[in-house]
Amino acid sequence: MVELKHITKVFNRNRPDEFTALLDVSLLVRAGKVTVFKGPSGSGKTTLLSIIGAMAKPTSGRVFLEGKEITSLSERFLTEIRRRTFGFIFQQFHLIRGISAIENVMLPATTTGEKHATLRDRALRLLDLFGLSAKARSRVEWLSGGEVQRVAIARALVNNPAVIIADEPTAHLDTRLSMDFLGIMERLNAEGKTIIIASHDPLVYESGMVSRVVEMRDGEIRGPRQSA
Amino acid sequence: MFGRKSDIFFVGVALGAAALGLMTAHADYRIAGAGPSLMEKAALVERLELTDLCLFTDARYARHPSVADRHSAFQDSPMSAEHFPSGTVVLPPPHLCPQ
Amino acid sequence: MSLLERHRNIIDFALSSLGRRWKKNLALTLVYAFIVFTLASVIFFTEAVKREARAVLKGAPEIVVQRLMAGRHDLIPAGYIDILKKITGVGQVKGRLWGYYFEPSTGANYTIVASGDPPLEPGTIAVGQGVSRTLHAAVGDLIPLRGTDGAYVSFEVARVFSHASELVSADLIEMPAADLRALFGVPAGFFTDLTLKVRNEKELVVVADKIRRLLPDTRPILRDEILRTYDSLFDWRSGLLLVVFAGAVAAFIIFAWDKATSLSMDERREMGVLKAVGWKTSEVIAMKSWEGIIVSLTAFFGGILIAYVHVFFSSALLFEPVLKGWAVLYPRFQLIPHIDPYQVLALFFLTVVPYTVATVIPSWNAATVDPDSIMRL
Repeated sequence: MVELKHITKVFNRNRPDEFTALLDVSLLVRAGKVTVFKGPSGSGKTTLLSIIGAMAKPTSGRVFLEGKEITSLSERFLTEIRRRTFGFIFQQFHLIRGISAIENVMLPATTTGEKHATLRDRALRLLDLFGLSAKARSRVEWLSGGEVQRVAIARALVNNPAVIIADEPTAHLDTRLSMDFLGIMERLNAEGKTIIIASHDPLVYESGMVSRVVEMRDGEIRGPRQSA
Repeated sequence: MFGRKSDIFFVGVALGAAALGLMTAHADYRIAGAGPSLMEKAALVERLELTDLCLFTDARYARHPSVADRHSAFQDSPMSAEHFPSGTVVLPPPHLCPQ
Repeated sequence: MSLLERHRNIIDFALSSLGRRWKKNLALTLVYAFIVFTLASVIFFTEAVKREARAVLKGAPEIVVQRLMAGRHDLIPAGYIDILKKITGVGQVKGRLWGYYFEPSTGANYTIVASGDPPLEPGTIAVGQGVSRTLHAAVGDLIPLRGTDGAYVSFEVARVFSHASELVSADLIEMPAADLRALFGVPAGFFTDLTLKVRNEKELVVVADKIRRLLPDTRPILRDEILRTYDSLFDWRSGLLLVVFAGAVAAFIIFAWDKATSLSMDERREMGVLKAVGWKTSEVIAMKSWEGIIVSLTAFFGGILIAYVHVFFSSALLFEPVLKGWAVLYPRFQLIPHIDPYQVLALFFLTVVPYTVATVIPSWNAATVDPDSIMRL
């Protein structure tokens, strides 16, 4: 599905605060699997996620998506690909405050030029799927932690992406909500979605549904380099 | 269900444009109907040989700006409201002010 | 179709986004609309007066000859009439009698003019609506006027000029020429000034030049100069208003600039989120542009429509203190509206475009953030 070849990512290049987030990382993420990146904070997990998800470009190395090289594409094309292929769940969820849950869910598809009615129906169905249809018109700051989490998942799914990328999704959740989250991920995986999670929460990487755990430290992958 | 928010915008723009159109139509209507009153005023101007519109009656250089003396500022009263731009920055002489 | 749909979706979001800070945005729109309103009112009013002056004063004397003595306006000898008649190209020459009358009890200034054709009966006058208002005088009433000898002479109001003519007649008192001479003590053989008709309009300047040479103590005033006087008069009065107003505009620019340039952390974060969930830089900027367009277009429509009602339905109620000055007698008139599409367009480009640009430019930086920046927050 996604293949990384000799990826290096350097921030603040040629400046005194230059630091290397990823160093010569090669990796193959297979479709339909649940892959977890595990490691302490600062180990490069988030950077790796953003490169896999076509959000950032590596300093060197190449990224292949379904066999096609995407490293050299312009921002516009990259955005198109990202929008179609990946759904993101952020650590802080990053819902936009002040607007309703359904508007948040529709956000990734707002600029695709899709018909508004179709889009709204799909967003409503997704919210319904997570038991949130009653809250569709509520502003997101009025929602509980669990509801915010589910709205964030619904938003990641609205463009029907093949891959779900989640960065430390359980960092701000209690055990019960974390289990809920994993349950949802398992269900999505069973429906055929590829799941990529970065987490240092044992609840996540020790979960039974995980196909493969990649351990990271100091921007490098530890242990076996090849795919599971 | 709930209409789209952008509909409010489009309806608003349409209403605004329609109101502008109505405004123009109203102006045209008033211009078309203004003939007699304009004629009446023009006839009066011709009959009494008037030279100016009656807009400001506070001083004669404001009532008849076209036939006032060339240097008519301050002539009616040192305290009178001044018509020329310089009047807004020049104060009357202190010995003429009350108090 | 998908482009339209996309922008409709973006407008949906822009409206939601504006709705979040609706108090602030409403205040901004209102202040903005007020500025458009003031600008448009000034433009509508001055343009309407200018046009009215041009239409009404078409019949004004082509040349007025004033006599100047020691730099001041003086009575002109009737003998000058014959001298002027001899100038080639000059048609009719008439002596004009008129003057000002200050009424101490009301504090109003009236303009007294000698009766034209047909003349009024001796002892009667025709008055303008403004005079009628300040003196509470109707047809048949007697109005006492104080003559130069200190004695009061009563005149009977024979006619009141129509309301429609108020823009030229509000402060007029028309009386027979003989009565005017007696009241003001104007000696026989003198006039206030002389009016000339010229056969060929192209010769006006030549005739004026000849007058200046033949009668060096006079000043010819051309009708074109009168119209030009009005143009500059109103340019100046509206300019004065605009100067006062410039302060308000500057304050608004600072306010808008501050609001637009100092994007809050919240707004920056939001743009980061939009980028992260798959918006392109151009789409984020389009959203911000729509925000600016929505605010400024609302203000533009609102301001211009209220200005129209203000100037042409309420007779520029708010400008009255400025235009009135110290006048006691203020003409009440309904201006004939005139909308210059060019001016409306200019107003549109002066209001909507700069504001939209001012909201977009500072967003530019924020919109070009890397989409992954939100993940590193």
